Amino acid sequence: MLATCSRADDLISGRFGVEPCLVPGNRSSVHHVGGTDALLAARLAAGDHDALAEVFDRMAPVVYSGALSVLGHHATAQDVVQDVFVELWSHPGRYDPEAGPLRAYLTMQARHRAVDVVRSELRRAARQERSSRLELGQPDPTPWEQVMASQAAAAVRAAVETLPESQRRIVELAYYRGLTCREAAKAAGIPEGTAKSRLRLALAKLETVLDRQLLESP
Amino acid sequence: MTATEHGPALPDGLRDRVLAASLRARAAGRPEPAAPEISPAEAFARAADAFYGMLGVLQPEDWRRPALRGLDVQGLVGHLTGVEEDTHRCLSGDPQVAEASHVESTQPAAERQAGHSPDETRVEWRRAADRTLELVHAAGDPGTELAVHGMRLPLGTLLVVRAFELWIHDNDIRQAAGLPPAVPDPSTLSLMTEAAAQVLPRAAERRGLRDPTSVHLVLTGPGGGTWDIPIGDSAAAPARVGIVADAVGFCQLVANRTTPDRLDLHISGDPDRAALVLAAAPTLALD
Repeated sequence: MLATCSRADDLISGRFGVEPCLVPGNRSSVHHVGGTDALLAARLAAGDHDALAEVFDRMAPVVYSGALSVLGHHATAQDVVQDVFVELWSHPGRYDPEAGPLRAYLTMQARHRAVDVVRSELRRAARQERSSRLELGQPDPTPWEQVMASQAAAAVRAAVETLPESQRRIVELAYYRGLTCREAAKAAGIPEGTAKSRLRLALAKLETVLDRQLLESP
Repeated sequence: MTATEHGPALPDGLRDRVLAASLRARAAGRPEPAAPEISPAEAFARAADAFYGMLGVLQPEDWRRPALRGLDVQGLVGHLTGVEEDTHRCLSGDPQVAEASHVESTQPAAERQAGHSPDETRVEWRRAADRTLELVHAAGDPGTELAVHGMRLPLGTLLVVRAFELWIHDNDIRQAAGLPPAVPDPSTLSLMTEAAAQVLPRAAERRGLRDPTSVHLVLTGPGGGTWDIPIGDSAAAPARVGIVADAVGFCQLVANRTTPDRLDLHISGDPDRAALVLAAAPTLALD
C-alpha cells in the first residue's frame, strides 16, 4: 500500500510523500554549470563528485586561510580542510543555501573545527602538565606543542583579564598560585561556598570568551 | 604550492588528498540522503495505489474530459487495463504480446469503456493491476527475461517501466481534470531515474547519435543521483557532456511529457552535443 497516499486532500493537492515538484516553466534551454550555491548543494546531494572538486577549487583557499589563522600550523590546518570537505561531501544536506553562502558556511566550519583542535590541545596540555608534576623525565614538547601552548597561554591570559574583579581574583589564586579552593577562599576573605560559586561562573565565562576569541581571530 | 586569488597558496597534494578522502567516505554517484530501497514490485504497487486513489477523487464529468491520443479519461484508464492484460499474457508466457503494439494492442480495452460507468472502469482496472501483482509474486525472480510491446527486459525493469507509465498517465489525467501534478515518493522515483539513465544509450542509438559521447548526468532532488553514461561508438575518445537537471523533470522528458526548453537545465561541455542527447531522451517513450 502507498502509505503516503491515504488522504483525499493529499491526492487532490498532489502530495505523495514529498513536496510537489517544480512545475516546468518556460525557461531558456541551456545554462552553463557553475551557478549558485543552491545548485552546487543539489549536485553534491546527487553524488556529483565534480561538484566537490569545483567547490574545493573555488573555496579551499579561504577555508585553509580560516583554519590557519586559528591554528598557526600548516599541517594541522590541512587536516581541518580535509575534515571540512569530507564532511560537506558526506552530509551535503547540513548546508542550507537559504541560510547563507557556501563560502561562509565552509569558513565557519573550518574555524569551529580549528577551535576544537585548540581546545583539545589545551586539555591535552593541561593533562600533561598535571602528570609532569608527578613524573620526571618527560620528553621535550614538539614545536607544534610549544606553539599551541604559547598561543593557548596568551589566549587564556587575555580571557582572564575580561572577568569581573571578584571572579578574576579567585581564578588567579586557584590557578596561577595553585591554591585549593578552601585556601583561595581564605586568602580572599570569603566563604568557601562563595569561592566555589565564583570559580564556576568564571570558568563558564572563560569558556565562552575563549571560543569567541578563537573564532574571531583574524 | 598552488597560487590562488582568494587566499594563501594551497599546499601541493592537498586537493588530491581531500578528494580521495571524500570518496572513501561516500562513493560518487550515490545520492545523500539515499532513499530507502524498495523492490520494483513495491514501486509498481505504490504507483497502482496512487493511481487508484486519484481515480477515486475524480468528479463524474472528469471522466469525459479529453486526456491523450483522442482518448478521454475513461478511455485512457481502459488503455491501462489493456496494458495490464497484455502484461498478464506476457507473464503467462504468451509470445503473441512480445511484438504487439503498445497502443494498438490495448485499443480494444480503451474502446470498450464507452459503455461502462466510471466505477466499473475503475474497478476493472484495479482488478487487472491486482492480477498483475499476483502473477509477479508467482513469477518470483525479478531477473526473469520477458518480452512485451517490443521490449525485452527483466521482470524487475518491466515493473519499474510500468510504475513509470502509471505515474505519467496519473498526471495526464490530473492535467485533464485540473488537478495539480503528482510526484512519486523518493524510493519509487529513485528506481525510475535509474531506469531513465539506463535507457539513454539505447534511445541515443535509436535516434542515430553515433558520435562517442560520455554523458555525466546529474539528477537533483529526492530520487536523484549521478551517472556517467557512454553513448555512441566506443572506438574514439568521447566528448564529455555534463547535464544537470531536476530528477522529476528529467523523468518527464524521458516520458515525452516535457521538452528540454521547459527544464531548468545546466549544461557543461559541447552544448550542441548535449542538445542532441536531450532530444534523444524521449525516443523510447511509450504512450
